[in-house]
Amino acid sequence: MNLYEPYRVKIAGLVDETPDTRTFRLEFLDPEVARTFDFKTGQFGEYSAFGAGECTFCIASSPTRRGYIECSFKTVGKATTALRDLNVGDTMGFRGPYGNHFPLERMEGSSLVFIAGGIGLAPVRSVIWNALDLRDRFKDVTIVYGARSVSDLVYKRELEEWAARADVRLHQTVDPGGETPDWAGEVGFVPTIVEKSAPSATNAYAIVCGPPIMIKFTLPVLKKLGFADDRIYTTLENRMKCGIGKCGRCNIGPVYVCKDGPVFTAEELAKLPPEF
Amino acid sequence: MNGRTISRSQLAALVDDLVGSGVGVVAPVRAPDGRLDYRPVARLEEAVLDGGLPRLSLKSLFLPPTEPLFSFRKSGPDVAIDSVPTTFPPRLVLGAVPCDAAGVAALDKVMGWDYRDELWFGRREATTIVSVACGKGDASCFCGATGNGPAGTRGADLLLLPLDDGFAVEVVTPKGEALLSAHAGRFGEPPNEADVARRRAGLLEGRVEPVGSLAPVTAWLGGHFDDPVWDGIALRCHGCGACASVCPTCHCFDIVDEPEGVTRGTRRRNWDTCQTARFTLHASGHNPRSVQDARYRQRVLHKFSIYPERFGELLCTGCGRCSRACPGGMDLPDVLGAIAARAAAPAGGAA
Repeated sequence: MNLYEPYRVKIAGLVDETPDTRTFRLEFLDPEVARTFDFKTGQFGEYSAFGAGECTFCIASSPTRRGYIECSFKTVGKATTALRDLNVGDTMGFRGPYGNHFPLERMEGSSLVFIAGGIGLAPVRSVIWNALDLRDRFKDVTIVYGARSVSDLVYKRELEEWAARADVRLHQTVDPGGETPDWAGEVGFVPTIVEKSAPSATNAYAIVCGPPIMIKFTLPVLKKLGFADDRIYTTLENRMKCGIGKCGRCNIGPVYVCKDGPVFTAEELAKLPPEF
Repeated sequence: MNGRTISRSQLAALVDDLVGSGVGVVAPVRAPDGRLDYRPVARLEEAVLDGGLPRLSLKSLFLPPTEPLFSFRKSGPDVAIDSVPTTFPPRLVLGAVPCDAAGVAALDKVMGWDYRDELWFGRREATTIVSVACGKGDASCFCGATGNGPAGTRGADLLLLPLDDGFAVEVVTPKGEALLSAHAGRFGEPPNEADVARRRAGLLEGRVEPVGSLAPVTAWLGGHFDDPVWDGIALRCHGCGACASVCPTCHCFDIVDEPEGVTRGTRRRNWDTCQTARFTLHASGHNPRSVQDARYRQRVLHKFSIYPERFGELLCTGCGRCSRACPGGMDLPDVLGAIAARAAAPAGGAA
């Protein structure tokens, strides 16, 4: 056993979120690992289909839900295509958890504003469920989630669940042209909807994840709403191989995304060279 | 020097002792093309000590160009994993060039922070490194500028300094001391101090390095990511990564699966290089380092700014292999000189 050897996990369930995005529920084969495995929301891992190699995703489930982890991935390259070829009951590999986490413990007693675009909801979903499972520790919970089109929205059943909850304010949106005739949500880009819904910045933290362009235009909106840069969190995904600070791939200047991140505040991001 | 001496004949006998007791001895060996390679030897006569820089550094003895991380066997939905060993047979490197030994020591930092790379340290622990002070520097060498020097002890367990017949022996680490104690009879009296000092000075005689102190470069690099000095810096770079392959400290790697048929395969770690466009390419098509200037800047920053900031030392031993290997004529001392000039410019090198 060396540190590049993965845990073996069995696919216990799968959900097709969109035509090209799938969620796996994974259970550890080793009962001792299954019993002791723990992580913090925002941490990531290396997932692998044996024979096709590893790929890096955040753990999309909440650490409050024990006994399994979930990951959501879009079929893009060789490794994710091979993952998609796997089925319930198949064995795959997982290394992790790696990296830092969203400091939820620091956010207790505050309001939370979650902002996500597309599959960027995957890491945010972990934080959302973590917070909702400890609901009484937080004040208002607001979620702004958008995707290119209605069919690109992920975790549709959970969106319904959040929409039905009285203790969650959910704003769903799709890009102009991505709506269907029966679409009841907003139409517009995520930054626009954030501005329109205007969540209060008073004693609040914002957690943002999505395509770089969405983050770029959301940050000024949050600033306008009064969010300080050190109360805006996001998570970066640079290409990685090892996940543990050795392979030399994910650094942005002196910062290793795999070890210093993947979670950063807007304040920290502003200090980094523009190489992500 | 805190040590002893060893004659050539006793050194030959020591190699025989070691080989006889099952220790693998690796030393610079003359290849048919006249160049040197670190290779296993059975007798001292096969080795060329103080013959100058071998073609590749010692890096590959600890981080092989390709190595298995584990193998897997699939059977229906199940997968079995076969581990690779993380302990290694004892080995002695005889005749390491001091800059190569220093490179191995520098890499201990990144291989050990937080997560300990068992494959690296397994080989490190099994290996004793005996360096021989280098009297064969050339115009591309700049080990002095990196703080190592031709008699540098960094990374060595013992350092041998050539004398008329044999070597003065400096003990650097407990591992070196253990080797000396275990074979005490092979070693002679302490050397003549004046002789040692004269020969040490002789190593530096006539040496002019292609670049001066790197301290101002390291100090300047951190705050000048967008400086014009980087614009067009890599025009001659082919992005081939030859520099990284020959480098004693470039350690970036890839992890890939190599299927063997349908049901079996091996996950391997292979050398990689930040000089290729694919290195940082995301599956989405986005590439944080989309041009060669950015990739070359990464190489310079990693060695002279990022590594010093994170680990307190340079990721360069001044061996000069990158300059000699580059098909495009990129010369690292030249680049460092240009950066030093920029740092010293009246404008303070402000971007």
